[in-house]
Amino acid sequence: MTLIADRPGPGAARPYRFPPVVRRAAAGGQVVAAHLPGQNLAVALLLLDVGAGQEPVGKEGLSGVLAKALEEGTAQRDAAAYALAVEGLGTALSTGLDWDSFQASVVIPVDRLSAAVELLAEAVRTPRLDPVDVRRVRDDEATALRMDWANPGPRADAALRADLFGAQNRWGRPMHGDPESVAGLDVEDVTVFHSEWFLRPGTLIVAGDLDRIDLDALAAAAFAGTGGGLAERGGPIEVPLHSGRRIILVDRPGSVQSTLRLGHPSPHRAHPDHVPMTLAGTVLGGAFTSRLNHLLREVHGYTYGIRGDFAASRRFGRFAVSSGVQTAVTAPALVEAVGEITRTQATGVTEEELEVARSWRAGQLSVELQSPRAIASALTTLVVHDLPDDYHARLRESLLSADVDQVSAAAATHLHPEALTLVIEGDAAVIRDDLEATALGDLLP
Amino acid sequence: MPDSGYPWPIQTSRLDNGLRVVVSEDRTAPAVAVNLWYDVGSRHEPAGQTGFAHLFEHLMFEGSVNVAKTEHMKLIQGSGGSLNATTNPDRTNYFETVPAEHLELALWLEADRMGGLVPALTQETLDNQRDVVKNERRQRYENVPYGDAWLRLLPLLYPPGHPYHHATIGSMADLNAADLGTFQAFHQTYYAPNNAVLTVVGDATASDVFALADKYFGALPARDDIPPAPDGRNVPATGQTAVESVSADVPAPRVYIAHRSYPFGSAGYNVITVLATILGSGRGSRLYQRLADGERIAQPDLVGAYGVDLAHAPAPLIATATARPGVSAERLAEGLAEVVDELATVPVTAAELDRAKALLSTGWWRQLSTVDGRADLLGRYTTQFGDPARIAEQLPALLAVTAEQIAEAAAEVLATDRVTLTYLPEETS
Repeated sequence: MTLIADRPGPGAARPYRFPPVVRRAAAGGQVVAAHLPGQNLAVALLLLDVGAGQEPVGKEGLSGVLAKALEEGTAQRDAAAYALAVEGLGTALSTGLDWDSFQASVVIPVDRLSAAVELLAEAVRTPRLDPVDVRRVRDDEATALRMDWANPGPRADAALRADLFGAQNRWGRPMHGDPESVAGLDVEDVTVFHSEWFLRPGTLIVAGDLDRIDLDALAAAAFAGTGGGLAERGGPIEVPLHSGRRIILVDRPGSVQSTLRLGHPSPHRAHPDHVPMTLAGTVLGGAFTSRLNHLLREVHGYTYGIRGDFAASRRFGRFAVSSGVQTAVTAPALVEAVGEITRTQATGVTEEELEVARSWRAGQLSVELQSPRAIASALTTLVVHDLPDDYHARLRESLLSADVDQVSAAAATHLHPEALTLVIEGDAAVIRDDLEATALGDLLP
Repeated sequence: MPDSGYPWPIQTSRLDNGLRVVVSEDRTAPAVAVNLWYDVGSRHEPAGQTGFAHLFEHLMFEGSVNVAKTEHMKLIQGSGGSLNATTNPDRTNYFETVPAEHLELALWLEADRMGGLVPALTQETLDNQRDVVKNERRQRYENVPYGDAWLRLLPLLYPPGHPYHHATIGSMADLNAADLGTFQAFHQTYYAPNNAVLTVVGDATASDVFALADKYFGALPARDDIPPAPDGRNVPATGQTAVESVSADVPAPRVYIAHRSYPFGSAGYNVITVLATILGSGRGSRLYQRLADGERIAQPDLVGAYGVDLAHAPAPLIATATARPGVSAERLAEGLAEVVDELATVPVTAAELDRAKALLSTGWWRQLSTVDGRADLLGRYTTQFGDPARIAEQLPALLAVTAEQIAEAAAEVLATDRVTLTYLPEETS
């Protein structure tokens, strides 16, 4: 035999070390930075304390239109000149939005970081927001959403969200809005939102070789001309569970796959069960080796993949499972998925499964936190959720020390198979009867 | 900025059985990337067996002599690692990044499936993964608007019999016909140590890696008669413009213009890389400035141009745009063609060139900012050009491209057969 049969054990574990974190108040705002000695690339990220959750109901997608409009000319230069200035440095303005925050960032060789931050601040703080440009950007964004919504997924996601959280609430509507909500925005919505939220200082996050970066100079550029205090964040939102399972069918005629989105509300991010919930979600649907992926992909071949997890923002959370399954097996795939969620809630996890889940989650903190972009993202988590500098090291310890009883208890408490909303986006003419025959829940009209 | 495009050490070794081992030490993070490039891709597939190289890649995760079905994933993830594999026309790569203390486990797993896959391969596994791959095809190509563009462009760019004529995902008919014996033979033919490059980057020393490579891979036999893929380097020009128009369930007209350019790794391809950036990357690109911002006929998020980095034949250069509401496909196609054609007639300015080089430079360092990004590139340069050290020349080569070279390359490439693929929304056709 030419192969070695014995599986080798691990060598000596290297100590886990999150880069040293620097926090300081400067130029009227907060700076949070991580020192990455020798790193050629740096990231600067301006984090504003305004997320989709601050958009008024009916104005969903406002932040997205504003984000695009920031680059349509500034107090100093027009759109084409701005694009050439930023891209001439070798970077691009990257923007992002979640329920709790808005971010604008640049990734760039460290020797050009200060010039890039000046341009970033120029767009965020002093955009021209010419009404003609804002209208065109709005129309383009509505078109972009129509393009996106032609893919399987967004309509199912929206149906699930509305059913879990109620479409009368902002958090019951799509984070990035939908084609109609964006098309209905006017110029004043955008300019008012900008002056209300984008002129507060926020937090400047920096990941890079701090020996080659002048944080005070960056802060002065990032916070120039800003004012105003922190906004009222609001506490966790109580979201009631449904009293029974329901099925929502979103028609997609001719679809060769059915898109599954199953879910129910779950706790907000600061809930004390965050770690055991994460691990329960990992065993059930988080890793490639999860129960759901094993059953639906590796045993049945129904899908290319299926994932499930708990996700949480400051004020609310949700458990959700998503997949695309071949149209002909939609009903059996749904039955198997619900069955696995039910089993996990009822009987918990095994030590063997948990061993994989906790090692994977803990190891990912070493493996995935390498690039300046990833480190900046980790710092963002500290700021958004008010976590200490040693959070990642502590998280690693909590993951590694979670036991079967804790994780099984979290599964029992926070999974609600009887309250699941089952959204299926697929060819209704082909799958409707099969779905009704599963008797998994009431098929909503 | 360093002068070299690769300011880390590179050390190489070759085992007696031909396995090339490349190590690049970096102690910054306690993680190590392990990457195997096998010099086999869909270009090796004969007619009737399209999609086999990729389906085979799936089978490599399903167990081997000393590793049970699904255990590979469980062991890597249970060590805290990330893993995956990809297949393209040129090659198949397998990779994992693990906390450094699990390096030996990763090497053991890779050796076991290199040397011991066939006895573990069952009909049940093949049937299961065939279904998975068919669902991958549905999900990525069939069930999304414009999802089959790549499947349509390839046969228009490369004639029947050319190794790039068919797409890596393969046809449903061929996948359905796949039998176990073919896959056993596929492994025996191509998954030999002398057809692979093992790269390790990160928290490990070269001497340790060489010793471990010898321990786990050293006894695997070489294979001396690995059949080459068909030679695709010369693609005769037809002198014809290929035009394909598709009516489909898409939300807006979209046009692709494609040409064969030069193989990845050639000086010509470096020029094409800069040219494509000038043409289609970012808000300062010609396509954005002219079609999205200037004439406003194209959707701003959906203009672009790129080379596809294939090394064994003239690689595709593709430009694309999607119509704004109210703009016809004809109008869009004219506008796109005009901007593309001007690459040969309107000289690239110094500002355009500087912008492109700055973007490519940042892109390069981003790619190298992780150990897995570095490992994959080192495996590529070793497999395709026989020398990992060539990686250091790539960025300087891009930065040395001149406006004259771009004009020459544009004139040459755009004069070859043009492929135009247009999607039309069904209701307006």
